Amino acid sequence: MKKKMNRRTFLKYSAAVGATTAIAGVPTLLRAQAPEIKIASIQPVTGVISDIGISMRRGNQMAVDDINARGGIKSMGGAKLRLLLGDSEAKEDVARSEAERVIKDGAVTLVGPFLSGNAMAIATLCEQRGVPFVMDVAAADEITKKGFKYTFRVFPTTSKFADSMLFYMDKIMKEKNISKIRGVVTNTGDLFGRVQGATFIKALKDKKFPIEVLGHVEYPLGIQDLSAEISKIKALKPDVLFPVARPGDAKLMIRELYKQRVELQGIISPGSPGWYEPEFIRDMKALADFVMDNVPWYNPVGKMYKEVNSAFSKKFPGKYIDTNSGYAYLGVLVIADALERAKSTKPDDIVAALKKTYLKQDLMVGLAVAFDERGDNINADTAMIQIIGQSIKVVLPDKAAEAKYIYPMPKQIWDRGV
Amino acid sequence: MKIIYSFLSILLLILLLLPNFVSDYILGIFVLIFFYAYMGQSWNVLTGYAGPISLGHSLYLGIGAYISTKLAMDLGLTPWIGMWIGGLGAALVGLAIGFLGFRFGLKGVYFVLLTIAFGEIGRLTVLHLKPLGHMMGLFVDFKPGLANFHFRGNLPYYYIALGFVVFSLIVVRALEVSKWGRYFVALREDEDAAESLGVNVFKYKMIAIGISSFMTALGGTFYANYIFYLHPTSVMSMWVSIEIIMRPIIGGLGTPFGPLIGSLLLTPLSEIARSYFTKAGLEGIHIVIYGLLLIAAVLFFPGGIFAFIKKILKPILRESKQM
Repeated sequence: MKKKMNRRTFLKYSAAVGATTAIAGVPTLLRAQAPEIKIASIQPVTGVISDIGISMRRGNQMAVDDINARGGIKSMGGAKLRLLLGDSEAKEDVARSEAERVIKDGAVTLVGPFLSGNAMAIATLCEQRGVPFVMDVAAADEITKKGFKYTFRVFPTTSKFADSMLFYMDKIMKEKNISKIRGVVTNTGDLFGRVQGATFIKALKDKKFPIEVLGHVEYPLGIQDLSAEISKIKALKPDVLFPVARPGDAKLMIRELYKQRVELQGIISPGSPGWYEPEFIRDMKALADFVMDNVPWYNPVGKMYKEVNSAFSKKFPGKYIDTNSGYAYLGVLVIADALERAKSTKPDDIVAALKKTYLKQDLMVGLAVAFDERGDNINADTAMIQIIGQSIKVVLPDKAAEAKYIYPMPKQIWDRGV
Repeated sequence: MKIIYSFLSILLLILLLLPNFVSDYILGIFVLIFFYAYMGQSWNVLTGYAGPISLGHSLYLGIGAYISTKLAMDLGLTPWIGMWIGGLGAALVGLAIGFLGFRFGLKGVYFVLLTIAFGEIGRLTVLHLKPLGHMMGLFVDFKPGLANFHFRGNLPYYYIALGFVVFSLIVVRALEVSKWGRYFVALREDEDAAESLGVNVFKYKMIAIGISSFMTALGGTFYANYIFYLHPTSVMSMWVSIEIIMRPIIGGLGTPFGPLIGSLLLTPLSEIARSYFTKAGLEGIHIVIYGLLLIAAVLFFPGGIFAFIKKILKPILRESKQM
């Protein structure tokens, strides 16, 4: 059918629009045949963030393969899952159009799509068509505030990030008998940096948390020299630095702290991608040690994580389950679990089952997946990770911890024999 | 002329009946075809007819989308009214940009740069405005209902988008046969000559940019209530402007049917190629094909596809005239 339309030149197409569409409009009737349940993955596999999109699609696909290998959906006679693939190109109109296509092709539930904007376009469409949608990664609080009936999310929301940060700081302070921390918050001047920095400061103020913000330093993204900023920080004499950074400025910052011999008890990021990138650790070596970051993360001690990760890296050499592919895998597990309990592919049955989800998992940091009335996973959480011995370790929560966090830093940055 | 009108009537009839035969997905593709045809047509009024090249039309799309959406979300004003207010807002901005450009006689690339600069200013401004959702974007509430411009199926969107296209065709045709339209074309062909013959260059360029920005903004409201998410990057960035101008350029600049023909060709092609290659696990190839097609179109139809069709149809049209 598609080929036919493909070959047609425009003129034929427009002239014979009636005839063509009559052919193209025949609904697919495959659902009634072989015991096969179609679900669809919509990810940004091309466009500006294609590497993430591809990794997430792999997570979706591997979960489907694993479920099928374990005998499919047992309550429906071992029906196998089939994953329909969609590519959002990281654009909202394309995401919507692709979602429409997979629904037409018979997908009973959709999973995806990393970007919150794409998620919104798909969530609204799913509401219009009455098709369940499980967001594997997409953090914006707004989406689930819209009161969608068919949309669920396994990923933590943005507000959860700040809550968890304070929770972990509280724990560290209690365990170390610290009554007050004097800190400086830094962030890049781009919007992500600003929002992360401001959200953290606001959360501290709102909760009257015993962290005093001595200063808030902002610098442009892509800055080449941080000497002035660091000397300003040094003059404020903070105990802890709370930096929101990207890999480039994270490296600059550490180098400058080294050069200016800034004495700190810790470097703890409220959540930013600068600190866990492999290149940061590779280039900074021992200087990177003891940095902490508050991020959604896989559960390194989990049995499920170990199994899935080893299979994943066997299938895709050199690749590992990370935050994105991990949540992508989990998203499909949630759908399969709901199908198993719903014993039906009717949208309302699946939604009813999703609402009652209690899926134990130790793939990602956080507890069993369970949804609140908005469709948010109440047990999704971030982890506190720390670079110890130049590798990333989860240090909090205790349940997922590979190592005990080290605070204060036992050796200052300039004192590490580098 | 008669034969063209009868052909158009038949085409319109087919398009009106089409939803009876196709799925929501195909309707969705047609919605995008019409949407981009309409946006292209709005741009065509300024650049295709009057001449000044604008690469910042996403600014007007964004203004229309944000104004009507904010009015709907905060004040409960129906987008059916909000869209006109958005249109006026965009027209005011368009006139201001036009004033700066035309009053000081910016031509060619300099005017292009001006439009790009204002487009970027608009994008960056919205990106930093909290009430407009800044970097997180604006999430539109879904409240199905005719008054809210929100619908469950694609059918209403299809007819509205078709209405937009018909409206734009009527506007452009009316312009073509009017004094204004002729002045536009005179300006495009040779500004100095037109001026020496007494055409008020500044006035007619201002009229062109006013109409064009107003029409573009109306499309913005449609986008907001179809996609339900507004982000400066996805509605106000440079690539959106390029997406808007691609169809009229391929279809035929300065012609009434160019934008529609361009959109009828490009939009389904990218949809079909994407779904075909994505299904086969070869995503990304469709972008290559899209690029190749653009190159081919520019190489083989430098005047646009409409000019080519016109050439083919000329003998037939002449015959019908003789009859």
